[in-house]
Amino acid sequence: MAYSEKLIDHYENPRNIGSLDKNSEDVGTGLVGAPACGDVMKLQIKVSPEGLIEDAKFKTFGCGSAIASSSLVTEWVKGKTIDEAETIKNTDIAKHLALPPVKIHCSVLAEDAIKAAIADYRAKTAKKDEIKDAAE
Amino acid sequence: MDHFARLGLPAALDLDAGALDKAYFAQQRLWHPDRFVAKPPEERARASIEAAAVNDAYRTLKDPLARAVYLASLNGVEMPADGKTIDDPDLLMEAMESREELHEASTIAAVDTLAAKARDDMKSALGGLSSLFLANDRPAIRKALLRLRYLDKFAEEARARRTNLEAKG
Repeated sequence: MAYSEKLIDHYENPRNIGSLDKNSEDVGTGLVGAPACGDVMKLQIKVSPEGLIEDAKFKTFGCGSAIASSSLVTEWVKGKTIDEAETIKNTDIAKHLALPPVKIHCSVLAEDAIKAAIADYRAKTAKKDEIKDAAE
Repeated sequence: MDHFARLGLPAALDLDAGALDKAYFAQQRLWHPDRFVAKPPEERARASIEAAAVNDAYRTLKDPLARAVYLASLNGVEMPADGKTIDDPDLLMEAMESREELHEASTIAAVDTLAAKARDDMKSALGGLSSLFLANDRPAIRKALLRLRYLDKFAEEARARRTNLEAKG
């Protein structure tokens, strides 16, 4: 099976591998898995007070397509607002990397991971606001 | 006809390996193409369908995890299909941490220790399934099977890591 150059590049030189402090208030963590293939993906975003994604990191244990998909997403979301990042579709990822049909589910994993990270960040901010409101 | 019925076995989590083999070989002989050479095409076709179904049943029931997943599906437990994702934090955190440990294991002995622990975890998780099936606790069965999937994947990765370390010598 022939893989695209972009895919191989992201697989061989993955961007933004690593972790952010999951307990930090400005960090959202998304942890998702695809049990059928045993893949697990962690994607984290660091969000500025203005709602801009300043940094993104990932850690993926899975096939090359899953690693490339998460690497690409961390690159795409940097500098975007969380609302913009939320609109990323798995089809965009699959198209950009020219994923073969049997690997489309890897891009689904990456979309779900960024959505989960954003949801986690929003839940944290909502909680913070509640505490602030209660204190006032 | 489900896989258990096809081999004339009780639909149970614990199957006697000898009884399974015996039932399989008997069915395989029964539908063997050699016995249908002189038969009309419809019968030959039926025999080949039956033989394929028997093979399929045996393959599924022989592996303890595949058997458990299959029995669960007969009991109405729905497992995520290919390409479906899950977000169970406890399970995924455990999977992530164990894969990190394996990634960092730099000696064969360290890999073997991790693999042995995964095998023990699988054994106890499979053992714990019986009571869940007895209570027909579907959400708990599903959760346990998902964890077993990840443990199984871990064992596979540990074998690959070991081969890799051996090659480096």
